[in-house]
Amino acid sequence: ISTSGRLPSSFTPLSRLFSSSVVDGLKYASSHEWVKPDAAVATIGITDHAQDHLGEVVFVELPECGSSVSQGESFGAVESVKATSDINSPISGEVVEINTKLTETPGLINSSSYEDGWMIKVKPSTPSELES
Amino acid sequence: MSLKRGLDVWKLGKVNYSEGLKLQAKLCSRRKSGEIPDTLLSLQHPPTYTVGKRRTYHNLLIPESQLKSIGAELHHTERGGDITFHGPRQIVLYPIISLKDIHFGARRYVETLEAAMVELAGAYGVEAHVGGSKCDTGVWIGDKKIGSIGVRISSGVTSHGLAFNVGSDVLDYFKNIIPCGIAGKGVTCLSREVSPRHLPLPPDGIIHDQLISRLSRLLGYNQITCREDINIAQ
Repeated sequence: ISTSGRLPSSFTPLSRLFSSSVVDGLKYASSHEWVKPDAAVATIGITDHAQDHLGEVVFVELPECGSSVSQGESFGAVESVKATSDINSPISGEVVEINTKLTETPGLINSSSYEDGWMIKVKPSTPSELES
Repeated sequence: MSLKRGLDVWKLGKVNYSEGLKLQAKLCSRRKSGEIPDTLLSLQHPPTYTVGKRRTYHNLLIPESQLKSIGAELHHTERGGDITFHGPRQIVLYPIISLKDIHFGARRYVETLEAAMVELAGAYGVEAHVGGSKCDTGVWIGDKKIGSIGVRISSGVTSHGLAFNVGSDVLDYFKNIIPCGIAGKGVTCLSREVSPRHLPLPPDGIIHDQLISRLSRLLGYNQITCREDINIAQ
């Protein structure tokens, strides 16, 4: 997913930037990933807008549980229309869960970007990253 | 107000596949940091089979040990797409460009790569079309593929790209794979598909230039700078 030259350091609780559907309770990185903070663990996925620009996802590569992610760095990739696109993490922390359904059904990223298409759950290491 | 959008085109001639990978990695990094402008590599490879991120080696129909005897190498890459072949008389273009600067997503970018190849075929009187489904990305004449696509996008910067078959030299090599993982479909090249009035085809360099020109226009560039005689080891 394309990112600006700067790290995605600003979040908007309710994004009005995109014409595709937008969901309450999520924070958005400027690079089209969303973060849902929930107690000690944040869930991360890509936006409806991003999946629309990608095309139908046929393959998803996710990190292993226990690995660390850094804000602005790639944590995995999706393949669509013969293109692999790196997905960058909006926050830093430790991967505590990955969505194994995406191996069998990568299209969940397209059909349910904010719910069944979630990608990883991260224990944030730097809570200030989540503040708008 | 018309914005100047420039593209640097590097004409590299024949490049070993691993040298090509190293060069792309270097240029991709330099593009991300803004050191270089959008750049397009135009080249050919010696006989090389490649697989993408999904590592679909099962679509190679001969043992790897036999590859050397047919003068070919095998490489794995981080691009999208299945197994394919690169070789003589095949145009390879690797755009190393920033998609966010041109406001393209992956899908639109790939559609543009396809459109350039369809246009080029059309210029020779050949009616090519894009594939209908998610597995059929690429450019087809009937059910034979003439142009392939495999792209990587990292932090919005592209690498890898397209391959377009001009001469028939590559066609025999394709028999050793299920190209792009699609069984039952064939492969073709421009020289096999043009009507006799378009033969002989111009030199490959001219056809490279024609494809570069169409692709750069479709991507919205209006200022092209060509560089030849580049030492890629630098």
